[in-house]
Order: sequence, then structure tokens, then C-alpha cells
Amino acid sequence: MRHRFRLATVVTLALLAGCSGGGSGATDEAGAPASGGSLTWAVETEPITLNPHQYAQAKARLLVWNSFEALLTHDDKGGYLPWLATGYEASPDGLAYTLKLRTDVKFSDGTAFDAAAVKANTDLLLSEGYAPTVKAVQLKNLKSVEIVDPATVKYTLTRPDVLILDFLSSPQGAIVSPASLTAAKNLKAGGVELAGTGPFILDRYSPGQELHFKKNPAYNWAPANAGHSGPAYLDEVTYRFLKESSVRVGALTSGQVQVIEGVPATDEPQITGNPTLTLSKGLNSGSAYSYYFNTAHAPFDDIKVRQAFRDALDVGTVLQAVYRGTATRAWSVVGPTSPFYDKTLESTYGNDPARANATLDAAGWATRDSDGFRTKNGKRLTARLVQSAPFVRDRRDILAQTVQAAVKQSAGIDLQVAVVDQGTATKALADGQYEIFDNSRADTDVGAALNLLLTSNGAINRTGVKDPALDGLLDKAVSTGDNSARSASYKELQQKVITTDALIQPLYAPADQIAAAKTVGGLHFEPTAGVPGSAYNVWLGK
Amino acid sequence: MIVLRRLGAGLVVLWVAATAAYLALLAAPGSTVDSIIGDGADTPLIRSQIIQEWNLDRPAVVQYLDYLWRFGHGDLGRSYLLQRPVRDVIGDQIFPTVKLALAAAGLGIVLAVLLALTTRRPWSRRVSSTAELVLVSTPPFLIGLVLLSVFSFQFGLFPVSGDRGLAALVLPAITLALPVAGVLTQVLRDGIDRALEEPFVVTARARGLRERAVLARHALRHALLPAVSLLGWLCGTLLGGVVIIETVFGRPGLGQVTLQAVGSEDMPVVLAVVVFSAAAYVLLNTAADLALLVVDPRLRASTS
Repeated sequence: MRHRFRLATVVTLALLAGCSGGGSGATDEAGAPASGGSLTWAVETEPITLNPHQYAQAKARLLVWNSFEALLTHDDKGGYLPWLATGYEASPDGLAYTLKLRTDVKFSDGTAFDAAAVKANTDLLLSEGYAPTVKAVQLKNLKSVEIVDPATVKYTLTRPDVLILDFLSSPQGAIVSPASLTAAKNLKAGGVELAGTGPFILDRYSPGQELHFKKNPAYNWAPANAGHSGPAYLDEVTYRFLKESSVRVGALTSGQVQVIEGVPATDEPQITGNPTLTLSKGLNSGSAYSYYFNTAHAPFDDIKVRQAFRDALDVGTVLQAVYRGTATRAWSVVGPTSPFYDKTLESTYGNDPARANATLDAAGWATRDSDGFRTKNGKRLTARLVQSAPFVRDRRDILAQTVQAAVKQSAGIDLQVAVVDQGTATKALADGQYEIFDNSRADTDVGAALNLLLTSNGAINRTGVKDPALDGLLDKAVSTGDNSARSASYKELQQKVITTDALIQPLYAPADQIAAAKTVGGLHFEPTAGVPGSAYNVWLGK
Repeated sequence: MIVLRRLGAGLVVLWVAATAAYLALLAAPGSTVDSIIGDGADTPLIRSQIIQEWNLDRPAVVQYLDYLWRFGHGDLGRSYLLQRPVRDVIGDQIFPTVKLALAAAGLGIVLAVLLALTTRRPWSRRVSSTAELVLVSTPPFLIGLVLLSVFSFQFGLFPVSGDRGLAALVLPAITLALPVAGVLTQVLRDGIDRALEEPFVVTARARGLRERAVLARHALRHALLPAVSLLGWLCGTLLGGVVIIETVFGRPGLGQVTLQAVGSEDMPVVLAVVVFSAAAYVLLNTAADLALLVVDPRLRASTS
């Protein structure tokens, strides 16, 4: 008995190690992959659209790849693997990308996948009023798409932009049957009327309740890293929308669903304490959750105050208090799983209250008011953080309150946190009525996030920094496909914004969680993106 | 004549409700464009495309009149956020909500009548009114979670989520019915108490009627009057309650649609939901008035 217990512990530990490494998540109970069966998976978010071109919610990504596929897909090293394309070739000047397409692929409505279909999709994305965000951000440098022959397409750019490959691997770049795009009554909402090439076919959508997919028996074109080839294992998979985390966990522990996504720190013990369940986590790609200092006005126009704020804060302790050790601390604006992450930044700044206080004294914030906050010329050292309620997740409001208490205690900084509606938040940002802006982005290539957040005219530039040197670095980093050259540019950039300019206070790397019955095999996190993968390689143990 | 007047008044209520909802959303901070953009990329180009797509650059008055005009013609418009006709968005969701509301109302009323009639003894009365108070003052959210964790997670008697058959309706309906029953029982009991002090009860007892018959046939009828007038309140409670119940139980329905639409200032959807709720309210109040005529013969004389 005792012996068996030890054995079980060893197996469990080995499995946990496998899971945290982003492995297949297979368990003994699940056994070897087996075909058949139907799975129910409770998810937190009901997508606002089922049209992949309109995709805007990272939480909906695990649904997209069931029925739709892109030309390329990410590997786990910052490169790309063929998917619906058999490969790509970039011209030496970086202005043209030629992709050879698979010739054996059919959409689920029976029409054939070819170069004309790819062009029809891209042209639709470039048309006015269809997907303004995709057109203005991901495709801003795309000039045209040409059909070279039925199995070859050529993307021509106005300037070198390696992020086009990221687009070609993204949900927005998924190829939808052109016939269904034309016939769809509610094109932007998508749904059962849009046909893709994926391993499953969406056959039922009950708004507010569930999505139901059935297996596509003709499927035989999985990418090399999908885990197996041929049709999916499961006959059917149902995604049920359960917004309440405790209800999701309860549904799992009582066996009403086999898999859930989204397990908050507070609910984790219920999963880990149950011998029939497993929990695995994946760190998301993109930018880490960070505070961006607004340098457009006082007090953060002074680099000393920015440095002092970071010195005043012990991020590790704050995260421990809020997330009970389940959060991964971020040291850079670039997420720690990105191939461009600069590991040398770790432990180079922060948690030095003595230095924070000395810096603030030297910067002229030497006096204190009756509440203990620092002042300068009678003005309190105040920083306002405005959070938009609909987008607060991971208890970021609680985290902000904890930071508020920490910087008050250690350095007399008055952090004011306001959780408001979307309209009020937008107005505060537009009027510059904030000193700290909080954000994380789940872009697969962190370059996409950095372009939005840090370039002078970036759509989410809230630091107010307009620095030609920064723009140059960001430009250089996307003008080449060579990952080591890109890496060098991004390291220089991280050194600049984190160490030299102290523009950002990184906090934690956002993560996703999957909890499941141990009889479910093949659950995994998508390489690079770090979000739960599709149901293609998932099986039910007998 | 009365029917016409009722109809006219009903239409006025609908118009006022729609207008009030429109003004409220207009007064709320931010704009429709903000909520469509959300926390995504925000450039002037993206903004202008959204404004163009939905004709949001027209003056508020013109937009308002346009809404009314289209409403009058039965065109509910398209949802900004969900990109589908509002008719589809709402149409899909009305039935699950109405089913839940009716089940909860029925259950609540039956429970209330039973409790008011049976808990007449001092001790049972004390237990019951304590329970009623607790139920009325507990957030439905909590009641739902407790019921779920006991009957669904522990004993596996009922499924947790969705609009899938009768079993899935049981827990949400009970959750919604309990507070309703709590309030109605108190009103009914109070009514019965007062009726029992009336002289006609003495007469009835003197005729040799049993206590149960006195209660059910005479006192209850009197106690029903204030309870029936609460039907309007009931409508509001149920429609407000489904928002929470549907979220907790993962049920489809108007509540979830409303929550999302209000949060994102999805004007066409909000207006449609408000008009629907107002219509339900008018309908229920009319039904309540008719019911009063049935219950109380004295009212019949005064109206004719």
C-alpha cells in the first residue's frame, strides 16, 4: 500500500513536470490515444463573434482552431511551420512573401481550398468597413495579394514587415470558404454558416449556452506539431459557457464536464486536492501585465520618480499576497516565454525602499503632508491608475490596491486606483487624466504588442514617449526575418525602456489554466501563444 | 372603450420606457464607438470606419427619431457588438427566460399560498417568517451557488447548466422562486391576519365552518388583493433576477444579453430589451387588474 502510494507520487510529480513544460498532458488513466467519444469542456468566455477574421478575444482562441486553419502556424521557438501552406519564401528585400499551398485540402462545405480562396479572404480583410482593426494594424504594410498559380500566392508589402508571418498564423489570417463568406447572412457574427478547413465542423451554436462541434472525417492536413495526423480523435466536442469560476470547478469535480479552462488561484486547491483531476498552466505570449508611466506630465516626466516608484515596490511580495504563489513575476515588458525575452533584466531593479526614499528626497519630493504622502511645492505625489471594469481580469483591481498600500507604506507615494466603466476610462486616457496605464497583450509575436504600445504613433501608446531611437529599434526588429537579429534589436529595446528610461513597471506574466479529469488525454497549450489548444489532439481514455 | 384606453396607456408606457433607456445610455459616459473598440487598437481610422458603419455621426435627436421610426415599423435594427439582427439576438433568448420566469413565478406563488395557509400556529409561524426574512435578504447569487453545490456538485441530482430539459430548470427556478415566495408569504399572512379579525369571519365560524374552510375560502380571498397588486413588482423582480441566475447557471436568456448590451452600450439591443420588459410589465399589470375583478366582486360593481 505504502509502496503504491510512493509510486503514485512519483508518477504524479513526473506528470506535473510534463504539464508545466507544456507537454502533451497525457496521463496514465487516459492511456494510449483512442478515437471516439464526446467531450464537454466548460469555458469562461462566450465569443462575441465566431468569424475568425473578427477575432479579438484571446480567451476565444481555443475555439477558432477547431473549425478554421491558417496558412502557417507557430512552432515553440519563435519560428513558423507549414499548415495550409507547404512553406513560405521571403524575397531578399523583405518586400514579398511567396507561399506554396497544399492541394489536398477541402473546406467543410465541399469547395476546394486554393490560391483564389486565399486571395478572396485577404481582399475581404482589406475592404472598407469589414475588419478595421486588422486592416489598420496587422495589414498596415500589405499592398496586395496575387495568385501566381492555383497553388501559389504572393503577398507584396509596402515596407519590410516580418509580422506578416505572424498575421498568416493568426486567427484573423484563417482561411474561410469564400462561398460561405458570400452566402453568410450575418457575416461579421459568423457561426455555423461559415465553413473552414479544420478538424471539426461547428454544427450548433446556442447563444448563452454552448457551441457544439462534430468531427470532420475528411480531415488529413494537420501541421507537424499537432500531435498526430488524420481526423481528430473525438467524435464530438461541446464547449459550454460557464462564466462563474466556482461553477466551472463544481461542474468539473462533479463530473458534469471533463475539462474546464480558467481556474483562479483561490479555486486551485479544489483541483490539486482531488486525485482524479489534473491542473496545468501555460504562460501567455505577448507583453507582460505592466504599469506604463505617463511621461507627458508630472510626476512621471521625471525619471527619478519613475525609478523611485519601482524601487518602492516589492513585486514578489505583492504577487504572493494576491495570487498565493501562482503568478509568474515579469521583469520585462516582453513576456518570459517569448524568444525575444531579455533574461538579464531579472533582479536588476526594484524592492529598494531606502534608495526610493533617497531618490525622491533628491528629486524635490522631500516634504510630507499630514497623511504621510510626499509633497513638492504643496502638491502631493499622486499617481492615478484608471481601470476599465469590463476588462479587469485576474483580480487586477485587488493587485492595484495591494500596490497602492505597498508604495504608500514604503515611500509615501499616493497611488489612486479607480475602477470605472469603459466610457469613463476611455475619456480619462484621451484627456491625459492618468499617470499610470495598465495593460497586457496576448499577441503571439510580441513585436505586434510593442509596436502598439511603444512607437511614437502607436495605437495604445500611453507613455507619451515619442522617441525616434525607440521607433528605429522597433522598425529594425520587424524588418528582418532573422530571429537572432530581431532578438538583438528587442534586447536593446528592453534595456532601454526598462533599465535606461524606466518607462515601465512589469508585474506578472498572464497565464491560462486547464483543469481536467485524468481520463482525458492530449490536452495541451498552443505553442508560442500559450493559450489552451484546440480539441484536435484530445482523446478520452476508455 | 376601456380596452382602447388600456392599449393607449400601454403604448405610452412603451414609448416612455424606450425614451428613458435612450436618454440613460446617452447620458452614460463614453460613446458607442468606445465600447465597440474595447481595449483593442484605437486609431482615428478605425474610429471613423465604425462611425460610418453605424451612422453614429448623426445628431442624437435624429438617431433617436430614427430608432422610434424603425421600431414603429417592427424593425429592431442590428446589434453593434454581436453583428446580428436584434430580432435574432432577442428571439433566441426570450423563450428560455420566459420559461424560467414562469416556472419561478408559479413555484413562488404556490409556495407562498401553502406556507401562508399552513403556518398558522405560533411556532411554525415563527420558523416560517424567519426563513422568509433570510430568503428575502440573501442575494439570489448566493442561494444559487448554495443550491448548486449541494444538489448538483455533491449529489449530482440536477445538471449545472444550460437550457436542456426539465431537470436543468429545477435549480434556477427554485433560486428565483424562493425570494418571491418569501415576500408573497409575508404579504399573504398579513392579509389573512387582518381578514380573520373581520366580522364576516365570526359569522362564518358561527355558521359552523371549519377553521380550514374559513382560511381557504374567506380569509385567503381577502388576503389575495394586496398580493395580486404585487404582480407588477413580481415582473420586475423576475426580470432583474434572471440576469444573475442565468450567469450563475450558465443558462441562455435575456438576462445575459441585457447585461452584455448595457455594458457595451449596444443601443439597439438595450432598447429592444427595455421595450420587451415594459410590454411584459403592462401585460402583467393588466392581468393583475383583471384578476382583481375576479377576486373581488365589489370592484366589478364600481367599474360597470
